[in-house]
Amino acid sequence: MANITKKVSWSSRPDETGATGETTPLLNGSEQPRHSRQMSGEGAIFHIGRHGAGDLEEEMTTEEEFLRGRPKEIPHNEKLLSLKFESLDYDNIENQLFLDEERRMSYMGFRCLEISRWVICALIGFLTGLIACFIDIVVEQVAKVKYNVIKENIETFTEAGGLSISLILWAVLNCSFVIVGAILVAFFEPIAAGSGIPQIKCYLNGVKIPRVVRLKTLVVKVCGVICSVVGGLAVGKEGPMIHSGGVVAAGVSQGRSTSLKRDFKIFEYFRRDTEKRDFVSAGAAAGVSAAFGAPVGGVLFSLEEGASFWNQMLTWRIFFASMISTFTLNFVLSVYHKKPGELSNPGLINFGRFESDSLAYTFYEIPLFIAMGAELLLCLMSAVLFCRYVHRPCLQVMEATLVAAVTAAVSFTMIYFSNDCQPLAPDNTEVYQLQLFCADGEYNSMATAFFNTPEKSVTSLFHDQPGTYNPLTLGLFTLTYFFLACWTYGLAVSAGVFIPSLLIGAAWGRLCGILLASIFSSSSTWADPGKYALIGAAAQLGGIVRMTLSLTVILVEATGNVTYGLPIMLVLMTSKIVGDYFQEGLYDIHIKLQSVPFLHWEAPATSHWLTAREVMSSPVTCLNKIEKVGTIVDILSNTSTNHNGFPVVVQVMEGDVPAKLCGLILRSQLIVLLKHKVFVELARSRLTQRKLLLKDFRDAYPRFPPIQSIHVSQDERECMMDLTEFMNPTPYTVPQETSLPRVFKLFRALGLRHLVVVDDENRVVGLVSRKDLARYHLGKHGLEELHLAQT
Amino acid sequence: MSSLFSTSLMSSFPEDLEISGYCKELLFFFKQRYVTFVDCLILAARPVKVCQNCSSSYSRLQDIYRNISDQVGPGNESCRDSLLSSDRLMVVYQLYSNLQDLWTSSNCEKCINNRSHSLTNDTLNFLSTLNQTLTCFEKYQLGNHTELCKSCKKMYGDVNKLYGRMEKNDTMCIDLEDAMNMTRRLWSKNFNCSLPRDETVPVLAVSSFMLFLPVIFYLSSFLHSEQKKRKLIHPNRARSYTRLMNIQDKQS
Repeated sequence: MANITKKVSWSSRPDETGATGETTPLLNGSEQPRHSRQMSGEGAIFHIGRHGAGDLEEEMTTEEEFLRGRPKEIPHNEKLLSLKFESLDYDNIENQLFLDEERRMSYMGFRCLEISRWVICALIGFLTGLIACFIDIVVEQVAKVKYNVIKENIETFTEAGGLSISLILWAVLNCSFVIVGAILVAFFEPIAAGSGIPQIKCYLNGVKIPRVVRLKTLVVKVCGVICSVVGGLAVGKEGPMIHSGGVVAAGVSQGRSTSLKRDFKIFEYFRRDTEKRDFVSAGAAAGVSAAFGAPVGGVLFSLEEGASFWNQMLTWRIFFASMISTFTLNFVLSVYHKKPGELSNPGLINFGRFESDSLAYTFYEIPLFIAMGAELLLCLMSAVLFCRYVHRPCLQVMEATLVAAVTAAVSFTMIYFSNDCQPLAPDNTEVYQLQLFCADGEYNSMATAFFNTPEKSVTSLFHDQPGTYNPLTLGLFTLTYFFLACWTYGLAVSAGVFIPSLLIGAAWGRLCGILLASIFSSSSTWADPGKYALIGAAAQLGGIVRMTLSLTVILVEATGNVTYGLPIMLVLMTSKIVGDYFQEGLYDIHIKLQSVPFLHWEAPATSHWLTAREVMSSPVTCLNKIEKVGTIVDILSNTSTNHNGFPVVVQVMEGDVPAKLCGLILRSQLIVLLKHKVFVELARSRLTQRKLLLKDFRDAYPRFPPIQSIHVSQDERECMMDLTEFMNPTPYTVPQETSLPRVFKLFRALGLRHLVVVDDENRVVGLVSRKDLARYHLGKHGLEELHLAQT
Repeated sequence: MSSLFSTSLMSSFPEDLEISGYCKELLFFFKQRYVTFVDCLILAARPVKVCQNCSSSYSRLQDIYRNISDQVGPGNESCRDSLLSSDRLMVVYQLYSNLQDLWTSSNCEKCINNRSHSLTNDTLNFLSTLNQTLTCFEKYQLGNHTELCKSCKKMYGDVNKLYGRMEKNDTMCIDLEDAMNMTRRLWSKNFNCSLPRDETVPVLAVSSFMLFLPVIFYLSSFLHSEQKKRKLIHPNRARSYTRLMNIQDKQS
């Protein structure tokens, strides 16, 4: 207990006593239910609290009680957990209805289910691939129009004078695209901002992020990505593909769309969190594989970043989805490029092939590669995240627009003042080359880097001949682009961070290669800076996202050269080690800033001394097996507690005496029960009433109506409800002495949402939920505790 | 010499393995035309005039090779196997395919009429325009270069435009490319007629204005908005634990 650092304890602080607190609603759960009990007048609910000696209660002074109830306000920081986020129910509820259904289902039924899982995975892969194609083609076409317009304009004005007008034209074009994208994101679906990878990560971890897998999010995301990439921001379209894949998966697997109000009456069995999660992880994998042309990398991404659970059959199915997605993208793009059947366009970003002899590396280069991995530029990037004061949508749109304008202005100025002219290569027809003040027949090499979609720039950094860029150009480009990328990250536009980091990395990697070549000019091994660009890109990306296995495989697959596996792995290792020394990965910082109760791979070290008794919430709101409707409605509509799982006990006792546990019931189930008015009295009077099936629960999923929308009359409040059939009769329980890591392992591996803590007579003493576990983390001063906050 | 001869192959092979007189004849013609073509190529190497000078000799070489590989001679006799592929070295084949590659990469077909083996109208047109420009250059070469830049600008621009159009139409061969490159180098490097960078001030002004906008934006939004406060929630815990924590707080 001694090594836990608590910045603010829950107990009283002397300087807080002056403030008014009477009218503030009591937010402390331990007080609130007392009121409700008084309201209901009857002792139907009780709070099984405090275990141990009874004399402890007296020591709590009335003033402390009063203060504990008043919310304390602090500025937003990364050491908070938000109450907004709920968990997903990954645990299967084996209640009576479930068993009945299983008994009714034939052997063929199960076979069909298995087959339909495969069909869904194929559909996920196919649709994800199509979305990737759509984004790719639209971006390419619109960017072509945009750059050609600007190019022609610049060409005319270079001769006639008035280049500042071209600058303004460029800025205005950029801004207009970005405004559209930012308005879509800021006003219609704020959750679509950014790459969506942190959100999908949270979803697969078991946190329900509101609106993250909706159709509307997908539409906004796709349009937003197109706008922001065409708008010339320092962003890529790869990250959002992962989110898009996830949304597609969540949509397809449900066989209906709540947004469009269409129910296709298929795949009804999959309408629950467990099944949906499996498909979402397949979707994320399909997204990665479409983005990078890396099916294996996609599967490993799901494994590493996403799922807290895993099974072999699922892996195989996810791989299937990934493969289908890559293949679809490949095929459609081959038709688009008018070479149908030539399947050589895997991935949105094509690194091109690294196969020539000059790109081979020798063993003595490996230490060099490792040294490159150790270089770091990312610390600044995360710092930028912290100082975003802009919250209102219209301001966010303005901010994005300004960034777009500045990006254009900076790029133009760099190009304008660059003296680096290179002769035209014969086959570079897809790149937009600007001549500007270069001699005729030459082009401005700064413009190849800036005046292009980021994907093209990356490829040209990897593959252009040695001598295409001079060191000064590369250095300036790296620096400028780095600041732009930092600034752009966190804007209210949907865009990824993969490509900007690859681009920055490739630029400084190439710079290193050129410098090395100039130092050791005798040896021909140093000749090609392309491989250094690749290594630099890997180091930079690894330093930013901190993925290990999956990123290695993704990069190896994207380059199509297995022999690069070793250096890429070493580089990623080094950059992760060095990076972790300074900062967490970008996605983790993002998750922390969102105050998401995220469960990491393992419980914090040195936490074995914490037991379930200290971790759990107590007292617990329990329900009787046969409970009065009025009580249930009161508990559910209590906005301050907003519990989601209620242990069902044999008989709630008077006072705070714990009662014997016999099951667990969820808020969503109770709401469905109330909606269908499954009351004991009604069942008696109407004998013909249809028995409630599991289907009714599935139909309400995933948007269960709020309790306010369910009307319960005064008479009905006096009815009784029998929960026996619907509750989960065998919830997971632990004794009070269980250590935190043990509880953590249960949560992480089983995807639990509630874990009941019982005493030796199976009486409920507390309830552990995700937020209780996620608040412990290892800080600089040992184990720290995060605060819960309302947002 | 005599010793060399003595060790070389003296006796001839049986008749069916020897190459026939007809094939020998073909081989001789091939040699002649090959040498002519290579002569022409080397002479036209710099400045490149390959397409203009050597297309006819290339087509003749092509003919004889076609004779060797496809045609059937008197007595239904084909020299294809005996000349082209009866040994590992395949001298005839290799020599020819090297030149063929060279010719393909020169893109000369684009500038030459297939039937008449003469330059296409487009090419001739371009060459004449280019020649006019070069004459213009010559005229002003000795004087002030700024005058040259001014006087020949229109002609040079026309050539450039024409070149661009032909590039887009994909009717471009190495001769034209090389000629254009030389002209461009003359224009920009020797005569220094490239465009001057004389708009630094307006460009800088506009871009610094744009850079200044975000500063204002962030300053104002920083001053006008307050950060959202978060309400802390006190979770309900077992009493014993709370009490322990209180004690710890008091101690520390």
